[in-house]
Amino acid sequence: MTDREILKLYREGGRQEAFRLLVQNYKERLYWHIRRMVLDHDDADDCLQNTFVKAWTSLDRFRGDAQLYTWLYRIATNEALTFLSRQQTRGGRLELDAASRLSSDPWFDGDQLQATLHRVIAKLPPKQKAVFLLRYFEEMPYEQIAQVLETSEGALKASYHHAYEKVKAWMKEEMDVKY
Amino acid sequence: MNEPIDDLLSRRSDAEQPFRVPEGYFDALEDRVMARIAMEEAPETGRSRVWTVIKPALALAATFALIFGMGYGVLSLTQTLKRGNGTPEAPGYATTVEEWITPASLINYYEMDAQPVEEEIDEETLVNYLASELSFTQLAEIYAQANLK
Repeated sequence: MTDREILKLYREGGRQEAFRLLVQNYKERLYWHIRRMVLDHDDADDCLQNTFVKAWTSLDRFRGDAQLYTWLYRIATNEALTFLSRQQTRGGRLELDAASRLSSDPWFDGDQLQATLHRVIAKLPPKQKAVFLLRYFEEMPYEQIAQVLETSEGALKASYHHAYEKVKAWMKEEMDVKY
Repeated sequence: MNEPIDDLLSRRSDAEQPFRVPEGYFDALEDRVMARIAMEEAPETGRSRVWTVIKPALALAATFALIFGMGYGVLSLTQTLKRGNGTPEAPGYATTVEEWITPASLINYYEMDAQPVEEEIDEETLVNYLASELSFTQLAEIYAQANLK
C-alpha cells in the first residue's frame, strides 16, 4: 500500500489499520537508520517506538507538504539525536563507549573494517553523523536529507564533505593504511 | 592493509548489514507499537483525573496565598517603620527599646530566669507529668536506678 493510500485510509476513519500499515512499511528502514545512529539494539528499539508514538500523536496534523517518508525520518532522526545528547549529558561520550563495545556486542557480527568504520563515525558530532549516515549508507538525495534535517542543501553538502574527510582521516589513523 | 581508504569507503563496506536483531523482532513490532499507543491513550483513573483537575487550581490558590502573605508582611513592615520615624508623638523603635531595656531590667530578667526549677514545680505536678509521659516500665527503671545510687 502506498503512502497516499495509507493516509487516505487514516483520514477516512481507519486510523488504527492505517497506522499499522505505516509501521509495517517503515519499521525496518527507520530501525536501521536509528540503529546506526545509536548503535545499541535496545536503545534503537526505544527510539523506534518513541518515533512511532510521536508519529501517531501528530499524524492528524500532517499536512502532506512533505513526503510521509521524510517526515518519519525527521521524527526518527530527532529521536536519535535527543537520545545521543541525553546520553552525553548524563555520562559523557557514551556513544563512543557503545562504539568501543561493538566488537563484543552480541547483535553485531561485522568484520574488523565495519567495526572500525562505525567506531570512527561515532566520533562525529551528532548532526553531522546523521548527515553522513543518511548519505553514505542510505544514499538519500541531498534534497530529501534537507527536508529531514530542515537544513539547506548547500550546508548539507559541505557537512557531508567534512564528515567524509574526517572519517577517512580517522580510518587511516586506526588502520594505518597507505595511500 | 594497503588498500586506499577511498576505495574502502567507496565500497560502502556496510552494504552487508553488520548489525543483527533478536529473532522475530520485526514480526512483533507492529503489535508492540500498537499496544504502547493503546496504553498511552488509556483514560486515566478517577482519582488521578480528579487530581489532574484540582492540581492547577491548588497551585494557583497557593500562589495567591503566598503573594497575599508577602504583601501583608511588606505592608505591616512599612506601617511599623512609618510609625517609628523618631518624632516625639511616636518615638522610634530604637528609642523605645533603649527605654525598655535598662541595666536594672536586665538584672531582674536574669534573676527571674535563674530561679531554680524545683521551686516552680510542685511534687504533684511532677508526678502527674511523669505518669502521663512515661510508661510503667520506664518509671520502674528510673526508680531502680535512683535506689541503686
